[in-house]
Amino acid sequence: MTRYIVQRLLLLPFLLLVYSFVIFAIIHAPPGDFLTSYVANLASSGSTITAEQLNALRHEYGLDQPFVVQYLYWLRDLLHGNLGLSLEYQRPNADLIREQLGMTVALAAMAFVLTWLIAVPVGIYSATHQRSVLDHIFTVINYVGVATPNFMLALILMWLAFAYFGLSITGLFSPAYADAPWSMARVVDLLEHIWLPALVLGIGGTARLARIMRANLLDELNKPYVVTARAKGMREWRLVLRYPVRLALNPLISTIGWYLPQLFSGSLIVATVMNLPNIGPLLLRALVSQDMYLAGGILLIYSFLTIVGTLLSDIALAMMDPRIRMET
Amino acid sequence: MFKKFAVALSVCWLLTLAGPGSAAAQDAKYHEAPALAELVKAGKLPPVEQRLPEQPLVVPVVEKIGEYGGVWRRAFLGPADANNYVRVVYDGLFRFSPDGAQIEPKLARSATSSPDFKVWTIELRKGSRWSDGAPFTADDIIFWYKDVITNRDLTPSLPTWMSNSDGSAAKVEKIDDTTVRFTYDRPATLFLSELANQDGPDQSFAMFLPAHYLKQFHPAHTKMEDLDRLAQAASFKSWTQLFAAKATPASNPERPTMAAWLPVSRISDPVFTIRRNPYYIGVDPAGNQLPYVDEVRFTYFADQQALNLAAIAGDFDMQARHIQMTNYPVLKEQEKNGKYRVLIWPTFGGSDAIVAINSTYTADPVLGRLLATKDFRVALSYAINRDEIRESAFLGLGEARQPVPAPGHPYFPGAEWATKYTEFNPDLANKMLDALGLTKRDADGTRLMENGKPLMVEINVVPAFGAWPDVGQLIARDWQAVGIKAVVQIRERALALTMRVANQLQTEVWNEDTTAFPFTGNSKLDMRNGPVQQLTVGPLYYKWLTTNGKEGVEPTEPLKRIMQLIDTARSVGQDGQVAAARELFQIWADNVYEIGTVGLTPMVQGVVVVNTKMHNVPTTLSNDWPLRTPGNARTEQFFFAK
Repeated sequence: MTRYIVQRLLLLPFLLLVYSFVIFAIIHAPPGDFLTSYVANLASSGSTITAEQLNALRHEYGLDQPFVVQYLYWLRDLLHGNLGLSLEYQRPNADLIREQLGMTVALAAMAFVLTWLIAVPVGIYSATHQRSVLDHIFTVINYVGVATPNFMLALILMWLAFAYFGLSITGLFSPAYADAPWSMARVVDLLEHIWLPALVLGIGGTARLARIMRANLLDELNKPYVVTARAKGMREWRLVLRYPVRLALNPLISTIGWYLPQLFSGSLIVATVMNLPNIGPLLLRALVSQDMYLAGGILLIYSFLTIVGTLLSDIALAMMDPRIRMET
Repeated sequence: MFKKFAVALSVCWLLTLAGPGSAAAQDAKYHEAPALAELVKAGKLPPVEQRLPEQPLVVPVVEKIGEYGGVWRRAFLGPADANNYVRVVYDGLFRFSPDGAQIEPKLARSATSSPDFKVWTIELRKGSRWSDGAPFTADDIIFWYKDVITNRDLTPSLPTWMSNSDGSAAKVEKIDDTTVRFTYDRPATLFLSELANQDGPDQSFAMFLPAHYLKQFHPAHTKMEDLDRLAQAASFKSWTQLFAAKATPASNPERPTMAAWLPVSRISDPVFTIRRNPYYIGVDPAGNQLPYVDEVRFTYFADQQALNLAAIAGDFDMQARHIQMTNYPVLKEQEKNGKYRVLIWPTFGGSDAIVAINSTYTADPVLGRLLATKDFRVALSYAINRDEIRESAFLGLGEARQPVPAPGHPYFPGAEWATKYTEFNPDLANKMLDALGLTKRDADGTRLMENGKPLMVEINVVPAFGAWPDVGQLIARDWQAVGIKAVVQIRERALALTMRVANQLQTEVWNEDTTAFPFTGNSKLDMRNGPVQQLTVGPLYYKWLTTNGKEGVEPTEPLKRIMQLIDTARSVGQDGQVAAARELFQIWADNVYEIGTVGLTPMVQGVVVVNTKMHNVPTTLSNDWPLRTPGNARTEQFFFAK
C-alpha cells in the first residue's frame, strides 16, 4: 500500500509536466493573444491604442516570442514556484488565486456535504422501498435534477427571486459586507447567502449520486448473503446499513477523485451567472481575455487536484473495501 | 418684555459676530462634508480654506445645491474595465462640457495660446493639492515631460499631439510654480482637445503625475538596484512595469490623485471603492466643497447579463456603462416601481451599425475590384432597408443615416449628406449593379462576376453590442434580394481583429463612433491610424503609407484629400477646422467607405439607470468616449436627497 502511494506520488511531477505543456498549447491555440483581446476590448469601450504602443507592449510581455520560448519561460518560472504575473490584473497570479481559493473551497465543500447528505439517504430509501410512492417522487425529481444544467437552475431561481420577491440573489455577501473585514456578522451574512449557490451547485451531483446509490443497492439487496443474514434474523436496518450499503458506496467513492476538480470547474458557469466571488469567473475571464499565465496557473491547479483526487479516492476505496488491494 | 429684549440682544450679538471681521467672513465662505469637519476638529486635517486652492473650480449644479453623503453604487467588469473609473472621475487639467461643444478648465485655471497657436501657456490653480496634501505644481507636469513621456523605456513612441513637425518632442518648461509653457514648431490648434483627454485613460499615464510620490519608482531619482528589488518582489519583469502599476490610481491606492474621489481599494478587487478626496479643488456655487457623494463603489460582475439583471433590480444608483439597449423595455417597465428612472443619452453622431467595405481586398481579385468600386458600394447602400433595421434591431429608436456627426454639432455636413444613399431603393440598386456588368445570374438568381463565379460577399459580425448579428442578417437578406449572395460570419472579437489586420475581411459590421472627433484621438477616418483602430476600410492603404509606397495599395484621391484636411485642421483656427471637417464628411458620406444604417440611438452606454433619489444628473447629455461620459456631466455635483 505505502509502496503504491509512493509510486503514484513519484509519478506526479512527470504528469504535471505533461499537463503543463498541453495546457499551454491549448491556451495558445486561439488566434491572437492577450493584446488582441485587450485592443478589441478597448475598441468596444470607445478607445483605442496605436500600433506602436501595441508592438511595444507585445515586446514587453514577451508575446512576440515563439510558442516554445514562451512555454520554456513559463516553465522556468513554475519550477521556481512562481506562477507569474497576470497580464490583465498586473498582479502576481499566486496572489489572485490565493484570494479566491478560500471561498472556492468553502463553496465546493458545502456543495459536497449537501450532495452526500441528501443523496445517500434518498438512494437508500428508494432502493429499500422500491416502487413506493416516495420512490417514484424521488425518481422524478432526480431525473429532472440530472437533466437540468445547474446554471439553468441558477437562472430560474434568480428570476423567481426577482419576479416574486424583488431580490437579486447574486454574490455571496450583502453589499455592506462585500469588502468588510472578517467578523462574526460577516460569517453569518455569508451563511445566509452561501446555501443557495451550494444547493444549485450540488443538485446535479445529488440527483446522479442518488440514482447510482439506488441502482447499486438494488443489485446488492437480492444477493444470497443478504437473504442469509435476513433468514438468520438480523434486524433489517442494521443489515442494510452494515453490508449492502457499504458495498454500494464503492463506485461512489471511486468517483470522488473526479468530483473534486469538477466541483471547482463545474462552478464556473454557475459562479459567473450568480456572480460568486470564486475561482470560476477568474478562470473564465482569464481565458476570454487570453491572460494565459493566469489561465495556465489555474488549470495547472485543477490538474493537480484531479491527480490528487484520484489518488485519494483509490486510497479511500482500499480502506472501505478490504477486498480491493493495490498491486502493481 | 424680557423675552423680547433677550431676542434683540442675541440678534445684536449675532450681528457683531458676522459684521466687522471681513477676514472672519472670508473664512466662512467654504463649507465641507460633516465627516471632514470632524477630522478638522480632531486636528487630523487642515481646515477647508487651507485645503482648497486660492481660486477653486466653481462647478455649476444641474438642479440645485446638493446635500453631503451617500454611496453611489455602480458595477464594473474587472480590471480591463478601468475606463469605467476613468469616466466617473474624469481627472483632467481640462474637460469637455456636458454638451461636448466646449472645453472648460478643471484642475488647471486657464490655458492661453500665442496668436500663431505655437506656444501654449497653462496656468495651474495656486494652492491646489494632491490627495495626500502635497502641493500640485508645475513640477508635476515637468516630471511627466522629462521622466515619463520622453523616456523611451516608459513611452516607446511619442504621441503625435506632443510631437513637432519633425517628430521631435515639443518643448515643455516651467515658468514658475503654477505656470507651464508648451512650445511647438507647428501650430497646435487642437491642443485643448488633446489636453481634455490626457487624464490617464486605457491605463496610460496622465499628463500630470505626483512627482513627490513617483520619484521613488523612477531610475532618474532612485538607484536601479533598489528598483529591481522592488520590481522582483512584485513579480514584475522590469522597473517600467513597476512604475506603470504604481502610477495608475486604479491599481494603486497609495498613489495620490487630484480627482474628486480617490481609490481606497484596487480595480482587481471584488469591490473597487473610491472615497471623497478632502483636497478636491472644486466647490459648488454656494461654496460647499465637492464632491457631495461620500463614496463610489464599483461591484465586480463576471458577466454582463448578471450585471444587467442587477441593474433591472435597481442595484445601481447611476449607471449607463454595460447596460444593454435591448433591456430598455424591461427597465422602462420596472421604472414604475419607483426605485429608478431611465434616461436616454444617444450616441454623439456617427452611425450605430455600419458595414465597412474593404477596398483593398486581394484574396479574390475580382471581388476585390468590385468592393473598391464606388458605384458598387452605393448600390449596396441603396439595397438596405433601414426602417426594418431600426424597428427590429434598435427598438424603433434613432434614424437612418450615414456615419457623419450629429445635427447641431459644428462639423455636421448637412442633412443631404447625412442621409445620402440611405433611401431603400432596390430597383436603383439593381440598375446600378446591372450597369457594372453584373447582368448574368445563376439558377438561384445570384449574379455572376466577370469570371463566371457567383457574387458572394461575407459580412463579418462581432457580437459586441447585441444588435449587430441581427443587423448583419437583415442586411444579408436585403443584398440577396438584389442578387448578391451575402453570408453572415459571426466571429469572436480577437479573431476578427486578427483577420482585419491580416486583410482577410471582406466587409464587417461595427459602429462608427469617431465622427465627432475626426482630428484628435485615433479617428477611424484617417488611413494613417491603421487597421488596429480603423475598421476594414482598406488595410493595405495603411501598409502603403507605412512602407513609403513600397508595399500595399496607394490610397485613392478622396482618401488622400481626407488626410490633407486632417493635417490642415491641426494647424488652423476653429473656423478652418469646421470647414475642413464638413468637406471631410462630405467625402466620407459620398464615397460610402462605411455604409451607415441607423444612428443616434442610445446603443453605446446611452441607456442610463438613475436612482430616483439621485439628483443633478442631466436628462440630456452628449455621450461619447472622448467626453468621458458621464464625466462631462460633472459627477462631483451628483447628490442623494435624504
